[in-house]
Amino acid sequence: MQSTETFGINRRRMLQRMGAGFPSLALIDVLSRDGFFAQTASAATENPGAGGLLRAKPPHFAAKAKHVVFLFMNGAPSQVDTFDYKPALTKYNGTPYKGDAAVGSNNRPIGHLMQSPFGFQQHGESGLWISDLFPHTAKFADDLCVIKSCYTDTAAHASGCLQMNTGSVTIGKPSLGSWLSYGLGTENESLPSFVVMTDPRGGPISGASNWTTGFMPAAFQGTLFRSKGAPLLNLKTPEAVTEQTQREALDVLGKLNRQHLEEHPRESELAARIESYELAYRMQTSAAETVNVDNESAATRAQYGLDDALTADFGRKCLITRRLLERGVRFVQLYSGGGHIEDTWDGHTDCINNHKLHAGETDRPIAALISDLKRTGLWDETLLVWGGEFGRTPTSEGVDKPGRDHDWHGFTMWLSGAGVKGGQSIGSTDELGFKAVEDPCHVSDLHATILHLMGLDHKKLTYFHQGLDQRLTGVRGEVVKKALA
Amino acid sequence: MRGISLLHQNITVLLACLGIALGVPPAASVADFERDIRPIFETHCYSCHGLDNQLSEFRLDRKSDALRGGGSGAAAIVPHKSAESLLIRYVTGIDDKTVMPPQGLPRLSEQQIGLLRTWIDAGAEWPGDEAASSGHDEKPDGRNHWAFLPRTQPEPPRIEDSALRERVRNPIDNFVFSRLEKRGWRPNPRAKPHELLRRVYLDLSGLPPTISEQDAFYQNPSREALDAVVDDLLARPDYGERWARHWLDLARFGETNGYERDATKPFVWRYRDYVIRAFNDDKPFDRFVLEQLAGDELPDRSAETLVALGYTRLGPWDDEPADPATDRYDQLDDLVSTTSQVFLGLTLGCARCHNHKFEPLTARDYYRFVAVFNPLERAQNGRRELDLPIGTPAQLAQLARRDAKIEPLQQVVAEIRSQFQVEHLQTGDSKLSREVRDAFLKDRTDQTDRQKELVKEYQRELDEELAMALPAEKRERIATLEGIVCEMRDEVHDLPRGYFLHEPKGEPATTHLLIRGKASAPGPEVTPGIPAVLDASEDALARTASWEGQSTATSVRRLALARWIASADNPLTARVIVNRVWQFHFGQGIVRTPSDFGVMGDPPTHPELLDWLATWFVENGWSLKKLHRLIMTSSTYAMSKEWNNEYGKEDSESRLLWRMPYERLEVEAIRDSMLAVSGRLNREMYGPSMYPFVPEAALEGHSDPGKIWQPFDEQSASRRTIYAFVKRSMIVPMIEVLDFCDTTRTAAQRVNTSVAPQALTLFNGDFVNRQARHLARRLREEAGDEVTRQITLAYRLTLAREASADELDKLTRFHASEMKRLPAGGEQLSREEAAEKALQQVCRVILNLNEFVYAD
Repeated sequence: MQSTETFGINRRRMLQRMGAGFPSLALIDVLSRDGFFAQTASAATENPGAGGLLRAKPPHFAAKAKHVVFLFMNGAPSQVDTFDYKPALTKYNGTPYKGDAAVGSNNRPIGHLMQSPFGFQQHGESGLWISDLFPHTAKFADDLCVIKSCYTDTAAHASGCLQMNTGSVTIGKPSLGSWLSYGLGTENESLPSFVVMTDPRGGPISGASNWTTGFMPAAFQGTLFRSKGAPLLNLKTPEAVTEQTQREALDVLGKLNRQHLEEHPRESELAARIESYELAYRMQTSAAETVNVDNESAATRAQYGLDDALTADFGRKCLITRRLLERGVRFVQLYSGGGHIEDTWDGHTDCINNHKLHAGETDRPIAALISDLKRTGLWDETLLVWGGEFGRTPTSEGVDKPGRDHDWHGFTMWLSGAGVKGGQSIGSTDELGFKAVEDPCHVSDLHATILHLMGLDHKKLTYFHQGLDQRLTGVRGEVVKKALA
Repeated sequence: MRGISLLHQNITVLLACLGIALGVPPAASVADFERDIRPIFETHCYSCHGLDNQLSEFRLDRKSDALRGGGSGAAAIVPHKSAESLLIRYVTGIDDKTVMPPQGLPRLSEQQIGLLRTWIDAGAEWPGDEAASSGHDEKPDGRNHWAFLPRTQPEPPRIEDSALRERVRNPIDNFVFSRLEKRGWRPNPRAKPHELLRRVYLDLSGLPPTISEQDAFYQNPSREALDAVVDDLLARPDYGERWARHWLDLARFGETNGYERDATKPFVWRYRDYVIRAFNDDKPFDRFVLEQLAGDELPDRSAETLVALGYTRLGPWDDEPADPATDRYDQLDDLVSTTSQVFLGLTLGCARCHNHKFEPLTARDYYRFVAVFNPLERAQNGRRELDLPIGTPAQLAQLARRDAKIEPLQQVVAEIRSQFQVEHLQTGDSKLSREVRDAFLKDRTDQTDRQKELVKEYQRELDEELAMALPAEKRERIATLEGIVCEMRDEVHDLPRGYFLHEPKGEPATTHLLIRGKASAPGPEVTPGIPAVLDASEDALARTASWEGQSTATSVRRLALARWIASADNPLTARVIVNRVWQFHFGQGIVRTPSDFGVMGDPPTHPELLDWLATWFVENGWSLKKLHRLIMTSSTYAMSKEWNNEYGKEDSESRLLWRMPYERLEVEAIRDSMLAVSGRLNREMYGPSMYPFVPEAALEGHSDPGKIWQPFDEQSASRRTIYAFVKRSMIVPMIEVLDFCDTTRTAAQRVNTSVAPQALTLFNGDFVNRQARHLARRLREEAGDEVTRQITLAYRLTLAREASADELDKLTRFHASEMKRLPAGGEQLSREEAAEKALQQVCRVILNLNEFVYAD
């Protein structure tokens, strides 16, 4: 151990940097070469898919969940039309709002209070209120933990999506999925650890900034899977190349590279690069196989709604999600809605028909995913998160118009699955549904809770960058204890 | 000073008013510390801010600490001024969440707050505390940290062993070899000629040597011959195209703003071209600093220096920010964080919300830096960004005079037209419907949504009507006026446009320290300044602010800062840039945290060498080319990369430089090398960026897939990678996957990963397969039809060496078996075509070799 003192980085300095969290990757490398972590001494060759970066790592404490599925309702669903039942809105329907919350975004016209056009019923033993938009999901009311008091810092889609995904309203911060990949690694190196599936109508605003790895290595970045065709870029062997040629070309390449490696036996990067070609080859098969749902039974396909044009796309994505989870993928994010305005949940002009469409596309597939996960046993290790970047105003946008504007003072998200206490709602908005008043839950609180369920302490999951121990939750974030089973 | 103190008083009054408005109870008449105050502190404060705990670095049990305040950098107690005392603002609550004691604990009663106010307003008498004197006790530790001290003047040490001494070519070797010698180690031997040649070519130009360049060197691979190669490469334009990219990483270069619209930054490619030219012209580094930070304030400012100032505007920009006030400080933070790291190796950005946790940098230091950049503004029209004319002051003044004359003429024209429009709509024979006419007649601000739509829809029709109906005398009047405008424009031409922040207003706004970094919680006012740990005097920047011949309407704050940064005595600047250059040559710097020279940064592996190099650099006119030459003609640089088990066991990272470290090429060098080898590299320099081909699927995740990327034809897209458009929301996938830098903030060093998507890209992707095809064609043309000759040439082109017999054998056999397979593909191919297709597969393998992307 004398060497570490001699060559600059001494242990005190290292531990200072590491804090109580994970050491930075560069340091892992240094430490392992020093024999600091005996088991990682040959990380690069043991698990070379990502130069060892994605090696499965133990959580901070016993995890309740091993996977997360984030059902991202892009465009911001209205809380008062979905899960936040507000009878007072019926009473005050058509009257001007007199409260003190700043209403709306970007100088759009402010109308009057507007009751939900959707019926609300109590469901399950818990009697959870759910609107008629979700007849299928409602069957699992006793599994849902509905947080009605969420709030965020911004009224714009771009920064709202970024905050929900990365904890920050500015671009370039690592996303939740990247933090989980960094903190926990992956259990299947033939597939990415963090998969994103967008809506065929387009991606969310700011695109890849929503699944970026920011200042962390590229290995933690979300990988965009297309739900149709080849799921990954360049996954297919070039058209003019036969499978036999592909294999033989790789063999020759491997032989030449290994010969070169013999002259440089200690260069683990060279070994890692050789292995990355083999992994890529396996991925050509495994990724394609994963997204191929043709062999699923007709009953399963029907359950997910694959036989109905309305639900087919989101249903396929939900079914692929189950297949990804079965193969050990850590974090899957599905987008409902993409492109602009009415193609997302952004019901500015007609929230009623907008929500009918988007809820109609997703309700059955989500219920199918829940029931299928229960059937396969994955339910016990999977956390589901549902919601958008913020909510919508209880007022209409413009008088006597059916649209609703953005509301970031109060909105609804739900959690379900491993470690979550279902059949309850947490927190509340005011009488009209504008603003979180009881148990307010900031986006960073939600992030802290998700990390907690995955066995990670959001204060200890740090990455040293530009002089600071960076965290997903910054200087905020408290675990929503009431949500825990 | 008088103005400032008056302002200060106004703020005090304002705060006092606010305090009353917020319902703060009036002060009681007398308060005694021991009787009234200490009990409040003991009950409510000391558990977190006392002897045992000092949360937020604040302790309230000693007067000196209480006066100084905590991590926010603002004074907690200002004697006689309760309204300015942070303590009072906290106990009354800055906002719902920012209140002391914190949420969940009992708040202070109105009476208790009243006592605190009374006590502070009476002078905050704190009996028996010795450290009661100074209210400005901001002594940061770490003043003796090596990087903050002036450079030492080390003598190159003597090498004892005569054989080793033989190998010394310049003082770099003395420093490096002497460390090794003291340990009983020997530096690795000189690398083989082909390794050295490929190393210097890739290092300086990012391209491999051609066959004739190889032949010339291999005939006489002496040290002097290699020196000549270095000189030759430094004189080529390729050098600027290679090394400018390193600077673009540091400068967070991107060509769009990011966020929802991700709009293109107009003319920002001029900044990229400026950097390429600066490297190629060997612009002295101190001048390079001045131009980028203060290109509008220099006495000899010009179009070029204004383009350089584009540095200030390269970062991401949210044209629809969540909170405009916070956004303004985010933009300033971009400048403070980038500038402090890039030029000074200081992580000053960490002190935005509180004093730096690890470094002797305070929040006050941070906001004094903010004050330097605060006068800068972004030229914009709502969400749309505006570019600005570039030229010398005389040219700009001339243009301004012209435009000042043109403007009233244009106004007259506009008035004639609008008057006639009203006449025409009211009384003329417009064919437009009544509703449409009414819409046009309404003032813009009074139009309903429907009317706005109508105006948009019928504007053209109306314009046509107006053009037809315009009476001759009005028409002539307009023609005359427009003729004059045309003449004026002919006389004084428009200037080219540039993209940079500017200071259009004479009087800069005041800057305040923000409590906890919140734009909504301004604290005390701060003046422009530099971190106290480097110069504690209040007027450090005033000394560099005035400069002979300098005259500008701007605040000259940036000029002062730039001159302080670019001075020979600045302990950080020369060390930081010399270390960066070293890092780009060796893969790792002498300081391995290149943008953090602070207490928490990595200490230098060779401190004397670093200081010697920095001083040498300054003495040699801050010339980067001279520095490259010095480094690259050392024996240290020419060492082989061979591993040594004995040394490696103790120093696996080669921190002592017993060997040249092994590093993968950056994506630019990989892509450019492939183009060079395939013969398709388009050498066109400068100008607007090109859009390489991207797979359609790559656009799927984007919110507007149809519009964002229009790929160029192959030849135009085959320019060097530095000319590829950098769109923040859609980095070219091949570039991104091969560890391109983060474009949202300064990036000092590329990360280096080996992941499967890279292999998929390089093995299956369109680009590499295309280059393999071109290379195969080239090999046939240049080496004839014999496969071994083709492969031999391929190895020379790609790896600058002969293929071994074994390599030839493996690849020839692969070629043969591919030939056998090809006719079975169904297609009827001639023998030549089949051979070339098989050769293409061989080339695909060669372009994917580890050795191709890891130079020896």
